[in-house]
Amino acid sequence: MTPFLIIIKSDYLQRTRSYAFLITLCASLAIAYTFVPEPNANYSTIRIADYVGYYNSAWFGYVTSIMTSIFLSLIGFYLINSGIKKDIETKVGHIIASTPISNFKYLLSKVLSNFMLLLTIVLMVFIMSIVLFVSYNDGFSFELFQFIKPYILITIPAMFFISMLAVVFEVFFGKYSVIQNVGFFFLFSTLMVFTPKTESQFSLDIFGSKIVMHQLEETVRGITNSDTISDLSIGYVLGSEKKVKKFEFNGIDFPTSFIISRFIWILFSIMIIAIISVLFHRFDRKERMSIKKLVTTTKKQHIVKDLLLSSLPKPQINYSMFPLLKTEFLLLFRKGKKWLWIINLIGMVLLVILPIKMSHQMVLPILWFLQVSRLSDLATKETTNNVHYFAFTSFKPIGRVLVSQVLAGVVLMLLLASPLLIRLGLSLSFSGVLALIFGAIFIVMFAVLLGILSNGKKLFEVLFFMIAYANINGIVFVDYFGGFEHPKFYLIQLAVFTIVIGSVGILIRKWQLNK
Amino acid sequence: MTLEIQNVSKLYNRNKYGLKDFSLRIDKGILGLLGPNGAGKSTLLKMIATVSKPTEGIISLNKNNIVKDANYMRKQLGFLPQDFGVYPNLNTYEFLEYMAAMKGVGGANLKPRIKQLLEGLNLMEVAKKPIGSYSGGMKQRVGIAQVLLNNPKIIIFDEPTVGLDPEERVRFRNLISDLANDCIVILSSHIVSDIDTIADKVVIMKNGTLITHGSQDDIIKNVTNTVFETTIKNEELANFKAQHIVVSTTRKDGHMMVRYITENPLENATEMEASLEDAYLYLTKTN
Repeated sequence: MTPFLIIIKSDYLQRTRSYAFLITLCASLAIAYTFVPEPNANYSTIRIADYVGYYNSAWFGYVTSIMTSIFLSLIGFYLINSGIKKDIETKVGHIIASTPISNFKYLLSKVLSNFMLLLTIVLMVFIMSIVLFVSYNDGFSFELFQFIKPYILITIPAMFFISMLAVVFEVFFGKYSVIQNVGFFFLFSTLMVFTPKTESQFSLDIFGSKIVMHQLEETVRGITNSDTISDLSIGYVLGSEKKVKKFEFNGIDFPTSFIISRFIWILFSIMIIAIISVLFHRFDRKERMSIKKLVTTTKKQHIVKDLLLSSLPKPQINYSMFPLLKTEFLLLFRKGKKWLWIINLIGMVLLVILPIKMSHQMVLPILWFLQVSRLSDLATKETTNNVHYFAFTSFKPIGRVLVSQVLAGVVLMLLLASPLLIRLGLSLSFSGVLALIFGAIFIVMFAVLLGILSNGKKLFEVLFFMIAYANINGIVFVDYFGGFEHPKFYLIQLAVFTIVIGSVGILIRKWQLNK
Repeated sequence: MTLEIQNVSKLYNRNKYGLKDFSLRIDKGILGLLGPNGAGKSTLLKMIATVSKPTEGIISLNKNNIVKDANYMRKQLGFLPQDFGVYPNLNTYEFLEYMAAMKGVGGANLKPRIKQLLEGLNLMEVAKKPIGSYSGGMKQRVGIAQVLLNNPKIIIFDEPTVGLDPEERVRFRNLISDLANDCIVILSSHIVSDIDTIADKVVIMKNGTLITHGSQDDIIKNVTNTVFETTIKNEELANFKAQHIVVSTTRKDGHMMVRYITENPLENATEMEASLEDAYLYLTKTN
């Protein structure tokens, strides 16, 4: 094996042997299980007007491949966007920087190990789709090629592109995780909105889903003899009352231009890596800054007084939580770059000036999502900053420290939502006020639970991203802040759910501490 | 004030013990904990500090079982772990206030206490800068400051001198001597010189078990009249090491000056005064 392949293999093994990867893999499989609904399920994932396909090989292959392409592009980015960061944190980067490996080779190795990581999940989903095909058995024969073809031409190139994108974001915005998270969110949303009209434009769709959707619409148009059918829904549509009709989908003969475009996307990704390798810091940037700071601090040192323990003022017992809460809030507030607060302030202004419905349904979920990096390590930052020995040996680490972390998070979220809270209060929408408060508590508790459960921040980042994306697409099912119309027990359900996840989080933390 | 460790074991997996059937009684004063890497020092200290729990056995402070009632220990504990971190966005003042709040310490005296600690630990001039910009030695001193915030009665230092320069080491030793007047100080290190000048009692560990404990004199008695120094040729060193317990070697005029432990010294060997380091090496190599 060449040294280059060994680098990729080692990086891949290091990352797959983590608890976070295992959890993401399990979560991916659980979600993949729902890609092709069970025959009696009351939801659909891909539906054209009243039509869904017969459960033949082509339907299984194409549906699971485009769902994987979109879903894994969405969350996969968050799973893989810390390869370089890990080398910085572990200081392995300094060793790498002193080896002869070129920037291009190093960055390409990161792209390829990202790609391998995503391929592992794709492979699992692929196997699961075959297992589901067999278990749902709709009387159609198994055609392996109908499964493989869409994965090769749709999913795999998309995964490669996302792998490249993760490295590009790390190189340019490595220190700004907020920009990485939010930047990708908007880039993904933009790419998804792109609607190709001609055959050549399908080549520009990196996720490769649009050509399949177009073909599905065409097939249904052919059956119904209607030119107006364009009611294709992709995503989770719950409890449709209309009776579903079935049609036979036999796959696509991809145009040559589309097939070539997939290779061009991969080459384009490699070319981008070659270009940015010139700008890669090679683990030097941070070091220069800290040395500069240290010089100034060392210069200013003066004569040292002796430390006389007997003369120290006597400490007083004070179990108040306020100092903890104050510092936890300070830590949240200072996280990330100061200028990012300008974006938060703009969001708060929009909450004041936009129509209340738009503020509640669009601006609030985005503004709260912007806090993803702040919330994601709310209850795990002790471990990531290696302060856990102090935190876990403190007086009542759950009753005081964990609770103050949760409270600080809720205060931050409510502070950001305060313009909307006031507007809802003034319009006497007390259920709206309550829903917003419950929503703030819910999302903080959710962050705490997933942080404690996975001992990292990725899982929450991925799921919060999906929730936020669904929120701004108006999917009522994931509305946790009362932005949409709900049945009358919604608030009670939200409160109970919040209490349950909060209790589970506390119990797990308690168990971890006892262990 | 008494800390008792009774038959404590820590099982990491089916075959791997971090600590095995360890018993010790610790009274007021400085206890030095010596042992090679992997001896179980940090495992023991983490269990005393209530960071982890023993698989078997009891740890009690003044007859209170701290395995069951961890808060009894935590109220009077100062712990400096071997590998600790800080919140890089906080300055030292803010970090120490946060640590004080975690320990349940506050009131009007807190700020002046922090100020005096910072002055005494030579951190005053950088106290308003984010800790993320500190050198390793500075961070270590912040760690020492947090230990002293709550006037602890049990103080645990796990490899405390890492990153400190020689002057800071001396100041740290003086500080520990001062601390030991009315509390239990447990100091772990694999550097004997960190221990031998200040420890009242010494414990030597290896492979998760207790090899010996007692006063320094008691431990040194194990090698009294068996420490010698001799000169050999460079090429003889490998063979010599295979036959004797070599404490140290020094290159001198093309020859090797060897300090070693034996009951049958060579004819030209000179008997030396035994030290704690000699005893430590002898005990860890022969057990």
